[in-house]
Amino acid sequence: MPAKTLLVLAIRPFFSVVLIAACAAQVQGEEDPLKRRGAEIFANKCASCHGDKGQGVAGSYDEPLIGDASIVELARVIDETMPEGEPEECSGEDALAAAKYMFDAFYSESAQMRLVPPRAALARLTAQQYRQSVSDLFAHFMGRGEVKQERGLTANYFDNAGWKHDKKVFTRIDPNIEVDYGQSSPGEGMGIEKFAVYWSGAILAPESGVYLIRARGEGSFIVKFLDTDEKFFDNHVSSGEMAEHSASIHLVGGRLYPISVELIKRERKTGNVDISLTMSWKKPSGIEEPIPSRYLIPGWAPTAFAPQTPMPPDDRSAGYVRGSTISREWTDATTEAALEFADIAVQKLWPKYSKDAEKKKDGPKGRDLLKQFCYELLDAANRRPASDQLRKIFVDQQLQQTNNDEEAIRRVVLLALKSPRFLYPTIDTEATVHQRRSSRLALVLWDSIPDKSLQEAGEKGWLGDDKSVRERASRMIQDPRAKAKLAEGLHEWLDLARWEDISKNQEAYPGFDETLVADLRTSLDLFLDEVVWSETSDFRQLFQADWSFTSDRIADFYGESWKPTGVDTSGRFSRTAADSESRSGVITHPLLMSAMAYGDTSSPIFRGVFLVRHVLGRYIRPPNDAFTPLSPDLHPDLTTRERVTLQTSPASCQSCHTRINGLGFTLEGYDATGRLRDQERNKPIDATGVYIDRVGQEISINGAGELAAYLATSDDATGAFINRMFLHFVKHPVGAYGENRLDQLKTSFRESGYNIRELIVEIAVIAADAPSNNSPSA
Amino acid sequence: MSTSRREFLKRTGITAATLPFLMNLSSLGWASTSVRRKRLVVIFSPNGVVPDTFWPSEEGKLEAFKRSLEPLAPFREKTLTLHGVNDKIRGDGDSHMRGIACLLTGIELYPGDVQGGSHTPAGWAKGISLDQHLKGLLQADETTRTRFGSLEFGVMVPERADTWTRLCYAGPNQPVSPIDNPYRMFNKLYGQVKNRQTVASVLDSLHEDFQKVQNYLSADDRHLLEQHAAMVRQLELEIKQEQQLTDSADAETKDMGHAVPELTEGVRRDNDNMPQLSKMQIDLMVNAFAADFNRIATLQYTNSVGGAKMRWIGVEEGHHQLSHEPFSNIEATEKLTKINTWFCEQVAYLAKRLDETPEPGGEGSMLDHTTIVWTNELGEGNSHTLNNIPFVLVGGGLGFQMGRALKYKGVAHNRLLLSIAEGMGHPLETFGNPDYCGDGPLTGLR
Repeated sequence: MPAKTLLVLAIRPFFSVVLIAACAAQVQGEEDPLKRRGAEIFANKCASCHGDKGQGVAGSYDEPLIGDASIVELARVIDETMPEGEPEECSGEDALAAAKYMFDAFYSESAQMRLVPPRAALARLTAQQYRQSVSDLFAHFMGRGEVKQERGLTANYFDNAGWKHDKKVFTRIDPNIEVDYGQSSPGEGMGIEKFAVYWSGAILAPESGVYLIRARGEGSFIVKFLDTDEKFFDNHVSSGEMAEHSASIHLVGGRLYPISVELIKRERKTGNVDISLTMSWKKPSGIEEPIPSRYLIPGWAPTAFAPQTPMPPDDRSAGYVRGSTISREWTDATTEAALEFADIAVQKLWPKYSKDAEKKKDGPKGRDLLKQFCYELLDAANRRPASDQLRKIFVDQQLQQTNNDEEAIRRVVLLALKSPRFLYPTIDTEATVHQRRSSRLALVLWDSIPDKSLQEAGEKGWLGDDKSVRERASRMIQDPRAKAKLAEGLHEWLDLARWEDISKNQEAYPGFDETLVADLRTSLDLFLDEVVWSETSDFRQLFQADWSFTSDRIADFYGESWKPTGVDTSGRFSRTAADSESRSGVITHPLLMSAMAYGDTSSPIFRGVFLVRHVLGRYIRPPNDAFTPLSPDLHPDLTTRERVTLQTSPASCQSCHTRINGLGFTLEGYDATGRLRDQERNKPIDATGVYIDRVGQEISINGAGELAAYLATSDDATGAFINRMFLHFVKHPVGAYGENRLDQLKTSFRESGYNIRELIVEIAVIAADAPSNNSPSA
Repeated sequence: MSTSRREFLKRTGITAATLPFLMNLSSLGWASTSVRRKRLVVIFSPNGVVPDTFWPSEEGKLEAFKRSLEPLAPFREKTLTLHGVNDKIRGDGDSHMRGIACLLTGIELYPGDVQGGSHTPAGWAKGISLDQHLKGLLQADETTRTRFGSLEFGVMVPERADTWTRLCYAGPNQPVSPIDNPYRMFNKLYGQVKNRQTVASVLDSLHEDFQKVQNYLSADDRHLLEQHAAMVRQLELEIKQEQQLTDSADAETKDMGHAVPELTEGVRRDNDNMPQLSKMQIDLMVNAFAADFNRIATLQYTNSVGGAKMRWIGVEEGHHQLSHEPFSNIEATEKLTKINTWFCEQVAYLAKRLDETPEPGGEGSMLDHTTIVWTNELGEGNSHTLNNIPFVLVGGGLGFQMGRALKYKGVAHNRLLLSIAEGMGHPLETFGNPDYCGDGPLTGLR
């Protein structure tokens, strides 16, 4: 049906704001006669159904004509299908003229950018930003642990059933806690009858979500976690049998949580007993495992606050998480979370603050000290010193109304954390330029409030120019909060959340189970981490790297090219050897290959849609209907490629599926689990494909290697990545910060050798100022 | 027939701590007890059913259940099955999305970016869901107003907000998230008294701040903040009403701390704990109804496309994955029957709890005043059809004639929504898309 064909190029939801200045060739200039002719043709032959500005006409064709096809593609569709039923009425040069006119007048992304300038609408804190911010508000008083290069836990070994300095035998770093001493001694110079081991350090949470923490062992053990003073698991009294303690707790990605564990063997009259202990966890994504050493930091870290109030999930309908909606659940959750913080402020922060103050001789005392504490709390939450008027309402008046110090603190906390000033960090009209940059840098890079040093930079006016902001951002990006945020952004780019449950037909693929999938996730994360945080931080490596990370389990399933080449500090995982034949960065990674496949067969459509939408940032219209894929059993002699070609052959499918299949087919060299193959159903694999880019250029691609080479430097892929990173970090479209910002970022990205870290820094520099394009839209 | 306090205690196994609460219910409720109470519970389970083991074979009087419905046997005379009711809403969204989002709204979805594997993307529903609509009507009337109006329960609902995970809508584009953590629900129902007083004490200062901040914003942006401020005001109103309520309540019940049910501690939100979580949520629901905290409840198991792995009944595979298998796959079909039987057991447990609790200040049991509507986003999982959406009703709240198996010839489910509204005492001309409300409420239910 011709009408459906045009739809392809047309629909784009008006609120989808991935607006990209695409076509450099379309410079505004003198009037092109062809375009003038196009305008007439459109008015005479198209406007009756599509509206005079392509806005659509209710009843005939009500979708606006907006899209990202090139003029050439657009002309082809008009030539072949329009006007509906009489395509011969507008063909050849007429079709091209109409396409040229439409493209500039309203159809193209740049035209839309001009007509409906994107703006950065007011947004509240997302759940992640809220949790990160209150965790840092706590850390403002308690301090933050430092993440060093070294991994593992500090371990002190005593030849005594308890901590006694003269009985200490040695101190070392242990990779993790997974010990089974049986009835023997834990180490050289240590006895069998009695001993004690103290581990200390912190857990670095790699992602946000609910973690299951478990201690399982024989012997007397005590685990302190989060709070350096309070017991988290207490198995002090033990009769020697296996004991198990577990808890579920919400942790925030990129934060350190102190942990200390003591394991004690006491002398017994009744004979020797076994001693063992394993500390394990289950991350929000993943399976239960001993806490790997790459998430353990030796040394000491201060008590941390982990907010537990559940927050309703944020809107992610635009492909990134943003605080665009207000609901009753969210309002209630912020109240509950503020009360939770009020409790911890009363229990932990105020006692510490007043105790520290006692040490100073001439400082304020009593209620004056309390007032000073409340001011400091308000200032930190406010991201800059509060005005006298605000202090009066939020602190002075509250203190006057109750004689109970604790109740006063609770009131101040409630006001500070329920205030729109805290919940909407970009309401910063009252701030100086420096203060604004300080607060926005913290929000963009850390999802949080400025720490003391950053707030000082805002107060003292140290953020006056791009250079100082850039320097500051370059330091800030090394922070684990920024690292966790970047990792999450890469997951969004790869659309990983969509594929929660990956399972395969066990007859066809024995051994493909959830433990293998968990290893593949780790492999992918280690790979992304290595690329991003290596010296060059080279985006192109994400496509072109011929190495990856692997484990024995992965090698058992995927074979020779996945053999580990050595063991890294993380224990089970190490790098593979280089193999450009079988491997091209993320796009052939078995996690993605197996996710974007069915239980039995590969899915060129899943893979193609992913490449078109996510990697190349192109628009695809939804299918005309919901289709169930043709069953392989019904077509035993067809390859997957042939089956997909057959099912998508109708003209109404082809308009999109040329885009989708053309890319999806290039990955046919990888089966449903991502194993390399050279034939399917005794026919050789055909991995040829084609892609027509935004400016209408046709690229022929044969196989994953060529695909990767194209993606690495393609303008579409680069633009899509930058857009996605911008949306993820800033939570507003890049276009809202100026028409040429995307081009500017593309240029600097290329000039930096596609350095991902520098890209994020440049994004932060742009977003440190208020959006240029923030006037109310029509 | 009246039940003595002691007998009641014995039959229900309710702890002594709960008792004063349950026994003093009428003084706690806001709504007048002179009007017959009507309650509605909607229970959602996903991925369709196996028709052969689900639908009663004979039309008319319900003589026997197929295996999936067998757990409801004790309530056969209070059960009504409705076959041939179709969700006819079309437009954007795959069948799972429309299945859940149009189920109670009866209206299309907005276009949007929530994208199924290979289907049409969509946004949220374009209209309010019936439960929320009825809640609004009940709350607007003093004689039916309760503390919460409605409560949205869930069991293992994934922690992401998208079209597949939301059943209820407070209005167009306003999905309501269910609470799938019993401890959190408990806290909502019974906690927070002292905290809410503290909150109340700062609300004036907070308003002052909102007003100041609003001046910094453009008209477009101010809208969001106004919406936010309105919700804070609503909270203020609720706290005030609560305080009036506690002030006027008997001294004995004034301290809500004495009046709370006990909850098993430390049950993690985990696939394998689903049976326990389900029981806890149902117990809380019955307690809330008994205290007249609400007249409407929804209980959402997982989500549309839900992939629970019911290992406790010997099913290792994810529910959704299994539901794609053709009915010719006997092993998978058997497992799907078991899964739906398990869901039915949950419905039956709720029915049992309601049946053994006397209606506070009224006649009969709470089940006589409550109708449970158990439904699903699909008719069948493998074909993804929205025809023959499962609707199994239990209880007497809506005044329908029960103990029957009715078969319609493909009527729009909007008409059933109209019947439910009518049964709840609020007849409507249309609900959702009026195109599907043509012939009004379904005939033959009363």
